[in-house]
Amino acid sequence: MKRLQVVLGHLSGRPEPGWALGLQAAPCSGSAPAAPSRAPADDIVVVHGRRTAIGKASRGGFKDTTPDELLAVVMTAVLRDVRLPPGELGDICVGNVLQPGAGAVMARIAQFLSDIPETVPLSAVNRQCSSGLQAVMNIAGGISQGSYDIGMACGVESMSLADRGNPGNITSRLVENSQARDCLIPMGITSENVAERFGISREKQDAFALASQKKAARAQSQGCFQAEIVPVTTTIQDNKGNEKSVTVSQDEGIRAGTTLEGLAKLKPAFKKDGSTTAGNSSQVSDGAAAILLARRARAEQLGLPILGILRAYAVVGVPPNIMGIGPAYAIPAALQKAGLTVKDVDIFEINEAFASQATYCVEKLGIPLEKVNPLGGAIALGHPLGCTGARQVITLLNELKRRGKRAYGVVSMCIGTGMGAAAVFEYPGP
Amino acid sequence: MSAAPGGGAQTLRTPGRHGYAVEFSPYLPGRLACASSQYYGIAGCGTLIVLEQNEAGIGHFRSFDWNDGLFDVTWSENNEHVLITCSGDGSLQLWDTAEATGPLQVFKEHTQEVYSIDWSQTRGEQLVVSGSWDQTAKLWDPAVGKSLCTFRGHEGVIYSTIWSPHIPGCFASTSGDQTLRVWDVKTSGVKIVIPAHQAEILSCDWCKYNENLLVTGAVDCSLRGWDLRNIRQPVFELLGHTYAIRRVKFSPFHASLLASCSYDFTVRFWNFSKPDPLLETVEHHTEFTCGLDLSLHSPTQVADCAWDETVKIYTPACLMNPP
Repeated sequence: MKRLQVVLGHLSGRPEPGWALGLQAAPCSGSAPAAPSRAPADDIVVVHGRRTAIGKASRGGFKDTTPDELLAVVMTAVLRDVRLPPGELGDICVGNVLQPGAGAVMARIAQFLSDIPETVPLSAVNRQCSSGLQAVMNIAGGISQGSYDIGMACGVESMSLADRGNPGNITSRLVENSQARDCLIPMGITSENVAERFGISREKQDAFALASQKKAARAQSQGCFQAEIVPVTTTIQDNKGNEKSVTVSQDEGIRAGTTLEGLAKLKPAFKKDGSTTAGNSSQVSDGAAAILLARRARAEQLGLPILGILRAYAVVGVPPNIMGIGPAYAIPAALQKAGLTVKDVDIFEINEAFASQATYCVEKLGIPLEKVNPLGGAIALGHPLGCTGARQVITLLNELKRRGKRAYGVVSMCIGTGMGAAAVFEYPGP
Repeated sequence: MSAAPGGGAQTLRTPGRHGYAVEFSPYLPGRLACASSQYYGIAGCGTLIVLEQNEAGIGHFRSFDWNDGLFDVTWSENNEHVLITCSGDGSLQLWDTAEATGPLQVFKEHTQEVYSIDWSQTRGEQLVVSGSWDQTAKLWDPAVGKSLCTFRGHEGVIYSTIWSPHIPGCFASTSGDQTLRVWDVKTSGVKIVIPAHQAEILSCDWCKYNENLLVTGAVDCSLRGWDLRNIRQPVFELLGHTYAIRRVKFSPFHASLLASCSYDFTVRFWNFSKPDPLLETVEHHTEFTCGLDLSLHSPTQVADCAWDETVKIYTPACLMNPP
């Protein structure tokens, strides 16, 4: 009889000295009915990630380097670091914004330059400034669907070489629809809109920008980016057309000497009497990043490291004319899916498209400033559009790893035409 | 150790009934409910015994019979007369102590023994959670005739389900599958699974002073404290019981004080913040001690019940001089 057996089972336990080793904590999807449940073996894990340094567009070390070259460097480095045979990849997804068709051709060329065989498929994705994160999510989706067990997510942008002003073929009827019309508002004006509507002062924006520069300068001087940056040897042309070889291994946008006084002197960049300046906006940049993702069981089978675990992702829509508020809506949505609160998260990597919108989001969510972009953000490092999301994931997980304890981190950004995306990662501990 | 506890135990005999759970009324000081079963709960019927304690001692207030063993009981948080019990036939019974007979309502949905029942103490909501050997927990609003929600995930029998006193809509459960799980009734979203012991976990409770802290008691004879913000390892481990821990409760009055009862016949009081955490071992039962509660009204009063057919109310010496 079951009850007797159960009670007898209770009497079988003996006290054990100390407490058993080998216990593992696992997040759970066990929950109310119909919720999909995922065993730890099916976790989507980040195995490894590398990025290039971020170059200053049109003036920096990558100004004459095509995006496929940047991409090939990081694709090659990631596979080499973990000694994964390239044929093991089930799919590749590359985030890109400015190349025609999100750079689908450019990316496939980069794949071949990286000696990844033609049997590995590839796609390109463009969700504006979250393209790099969207690539991560597309690969994660493929893994969780069971389409494959290992994939590579990348992001790349050459803002130096791309045509930035062309929105493509658009109907003249857009003037009749205010939301449609707002999709063409320059990003700088959306920043002014956020600053005005939510009262984010010039002083606040400059203070945020200064903090970004200081944090990035400190991180760079302490070598915090060393593990993630792959040095790139390439050529640049001077204004007489002479070529010269350079090796780029440091982010070029960081200005350690930034002061509040210096920032205060800058003229508004987008609007007379505005508050958004070149100093409190993200920089125009070139760069690439690549991330290897896997199903946990397969990663363990191959003996691959586990740098992070993807816990949740959310993307939301917001009004196009104040697109910068996206993270304020995406972050709570992603945290809710992960069953976490702001308090549970150690680091928020929130893309600094503009100090105005980043400040707004941080204040709106009540995030302590010390948890925000501890190594600086796009104001100091630069914002190579399609690369940024992937770059943030790499920077986040490396910083959590440096801190050496199990913790949660969030990657988030606003998205032109009115969206926000956020992903929650867990660093599982050393 | 104290064979005769500080306050001198008052004892009520429950002939032919073996105690599984005791709960103090949240409304009336000295009123106490005991869920009990015939034949050690292995077979036979069950009885809900409501007791009244005063200077003269403890006396019977009312008894209600059910035709299967009763394993747990919880008082209503919105009506001083109402309680719910759970039983071996998979049903819950809602009783009114103002009435002399019968359950007002019976909720029959679980397909196996229901081993735990708890009425939420938080806010306006009147929610009850039950945990069953059919491996599910169910959410109930007693005003609604059927369950609101079923929680699946445990891979063994559920022994314990307890609401968080702080986080609305959040409860914890423990199971024979060796895990402690934390659930949220509002989202069907991801919660936490903690492989808290390498043995069946018979009981858990939430700290009343720290919303992130839980304690588990298991067949491996250990109690472990868990901080939900870092679940990789326990924040404390309390060793001393010599057989499985049957129930554990945090003190409503002291942040770091808790009590546990066990198949080793003892009730032990612990202060997990002290280097020597075991405060006292009470050895006044002669059979498995299954029920335990700390009074909400008095910082010193404790009740327990055992398979020796007694319910005891007493003040342990360690609570006379609070930690």
